[in-house]
Amino acid sequence: MTTLSPPRPGPARATGSAPRRRPLLRRYDWDAYLYLVPAFAFYLVFLVRPVVESIWIALFDWDGITASEWVGFDNFADVLADPQIWQATLHSLVFVVFYALLPTALALVFVGAIARIRVRGLAAFRALLFVPYILSTVVVAISWRWIFAETGPLNTALRAIGLDGLTRTWLGDFTTALPSVGIIGTWVMFGLAFVLFVSGLQNIPAEQFEAARLDGAGPVREFFAVTLPALRGEIQVALVLMITAALRNFDIVWNTTAGGPGTSTTVPSYFIYREAFVTHQVGRASAIAVVLTLLIFAIVGAVMWLTRDRDAAAPRGGTR
Amino acid sequence: MPTRRMRLTGAAAAVTALALGLAACSAPGGSRTAPSAPVEEITAPVTPEQVAELGEVTLNVWADQGEQDFMDQLVPAYEAEFPNVTVDIQFKSFNDLTATVLNAMNSADAPDVAQGNQGWATDGALVKAGLIRPLDDVADAYDYRDAAGDAITQLQWSEDGSAFGEGAVYGMSPDNQMVGLFSNREKLAALGLGTPTTLDELEAAFAAAKAAGQTPLVLGNADKASAMQTFSILQGALTPAADTREWITGAKDADFAVDSNREALDRFAEWVAKGYVSAGYDGTSPDDAAAAFASGEGVFFIGGNWYAGAISDGAAFDFTPGLSDGDYASSGSFGMPWHVSSKSDATLAAIAFVGMVNSPESAELLAGTHRVPIQPVEAAGDDAMFAALLDASATQLDGAGPLYWYDWATDTMFDTFTGGLQEVLAGRESADALLERVQSDWVDFHTD
Repeated sequence: MTTLSPPRPGPARATGSAPRRRPLLRRYDWDAYLYLVPAFAFYLVFLVRPVVESIWIALFDWDGITASEWVGFDNFADVLADPQIWQATLHSLVFVVFYALLPTALALVFVGAIARIRVRGLAAFRALLFVPYILSTVVVAISWRWIFAETGPLNTALRAIGLDGLTRTWLGDFTTALPSVGIIGTWVMFGLAFVLFVSGLQNIPAEQFEAARLDGAGPVREFFAVTLPALRGEIQVALVLMITAALRNFDIVWNTTAGGPGTSTTVPSYFIYREAFVTHQVGRASAIAVVLTLLIFAIVGAVMWLTRDRDAAAPRGGTR
Repeated sequence: MPTRRMRLTGAAAAVTALALGLAACSAPGGSRTAPSAPVEEITAPVTPEQVAELGEVTLNVWADQGEQDFMDQLVPAYEAEFPNVTVDIQFKSFNDLTATVLNAMNSADAPDVAQGNQGWATDGALVKAGLIRPLDDVADAYDYRDAAGDAITQLQWSEDGSAFGEGAVYGMSPDNQMVGLFSNREKLAALGLGTPTTLDELEAAFAAAKAAGQTPLVLGNADKASAMQTFSILQGALTPAADTREWITGAKDADFAVDSNREALDRFAEWVAKGYVSAGYDGTSPDDAAAAFASGEGVFFIGGNWYAGAISDGAAFDFTPGLSDGDYASSGSFGMPWHVSSKSDATLAAIAFVGMVNSPESAELLAGTHRVPIQPVEAAGDDAMFAALLDASATQLDGAGPLYWYDWATDTMFDTFTGGLQEVLAGRESADALLERVQSDWVDFHTD
């Protein structure tokens, strides 16, 4: 079988001579893997090991200090039977809408609009819109606490246009706290999606737009026929980043509502923090973390599958 | 020929196996830490000569951010008295400190002295793990036990950390923190009222303020704890303080689901329903609420004496302890207790530090930073608000004493109580349902 396998593309070999037959194991330069060892060791010690340790700790009843007791999968059973955890997970799924779907949709509308017009100072807009994403989330949380406050700008604006009936303490109200925290996420994530999509847009050859226009496509048709398919890769990256952020959201919730009022904005990470550092049930905290990680994998995996490049096998034209 | 995918899978499997091998060799956690050196009992305050025998030492101290003003004065005084000791002090925010102090005290280079927090989550865990030294001898040597009075139980633990409120003293804290009633003197006078001292008077003042178009009670509960503190004024007036303290420290068969607590919850919910409480309280931070009250909004603000930093004008505002119905009980406790590490290799220097922090001599330094000392101090000078704080503290310690904090009761009580109280105040849950949840949290915790 080895003799029949086609020569693989690789680094140019010595010129002039025909490809020499080599034993299977020599086909690769195993020496090259030596160069990976430092990075791999780093990866192993600082990433793989903690992850595996978390899984291991989840199998114990442990206060973080004194001797632990093996409980098998009891922590997992306990976590999965806890209605508070399910409620928190549901809140996280609501956050997926606000942190991922909404910013993606908004950014696509914006990108669709600017694809047809020349925007002066696009770089400046892009930088400005990206600012929320790079701000410390504590700063973001404090700013929005002020915006949503009883006497904050949002309520002031509502009163100014005669909508006094709508005013409320947005983060302190059982019905509006969750969407209010979600809106903060939309604001933060919009910049990320926008910047990614604009850079994708700039990679679309102008000829494609010209061709579409010559064929008589209007703005909507052009968006769906040219812009949207070309941005598939960027959309996928943006969704993965934003969904992950939504599901492991902790800092914005902690600094705006601390899970309240009541339990209306709790998220799984809140319980991980609480049980690891406040109630010292490290095993249970690890179990929640493991379950959360699996959930993130499952959802992100589903999203990647749904947005996969269905034409990848076929040779593609164009530069993309 | 192996495909690329197979090879990657193989590599991943190898990595996982290796990492499992690294991690899974033993169960996490160790046994109880044995103190490294025999514990030296002291009978009198530690002298500079005793400490000098240690040679040049560095004392590592972990303290709460709020201690900075006091420490700025105390540390130089300590280093002057014990010249062979250099104090290396690290300040942490309350959340950071309580979240990390347990691991820090368990680490190989644990701080010699650290502040903890009363209750199971921090102090209880420190005692259980054998990480801090009992301080009975220190409390006696530095005249601390008398000054603390009955409230010393908040610092006591059984040796295995399984019982709270009895056993040895494991920490010492120099200041008293309590919830009280801040009132706006001028507005009360305009309503023809004085500072209320009973629950009926307080509710009458609320009604009068409401009728006059004022906000009766300013509340900011975004931290979820503030409503619970406000509740303590009501609960302390209706339920005997000793019952509440027994429940909090986990006395056998204690019960929170009693009629007087139900009445307290119902009355608090009624305050909200009648519009006595400032709108949007769940979305307002307590600091913002205190600032609004200090700038003239509302007639009353119920909160800890630490808000006197914001509500500082003693001519305009009064601070009184709980209501006379309950002999002035309200939530309160000493500040964060100072502990001596059982692993310290400079135990005497550490004891000298904790002793000095809690000594009668340091009480004046503490009062100078506007904190209320447990040890007696001379007059408060011409600061009317601080004088009111000292009075209120003395009145409560002489009366029914502090109720401690409800969330000390179990390690999950903060969420159970504060989240539930928000529901009750919003009319989304009945007082009965909350009391049942609170009590079952307590029972679960104590039957584990």
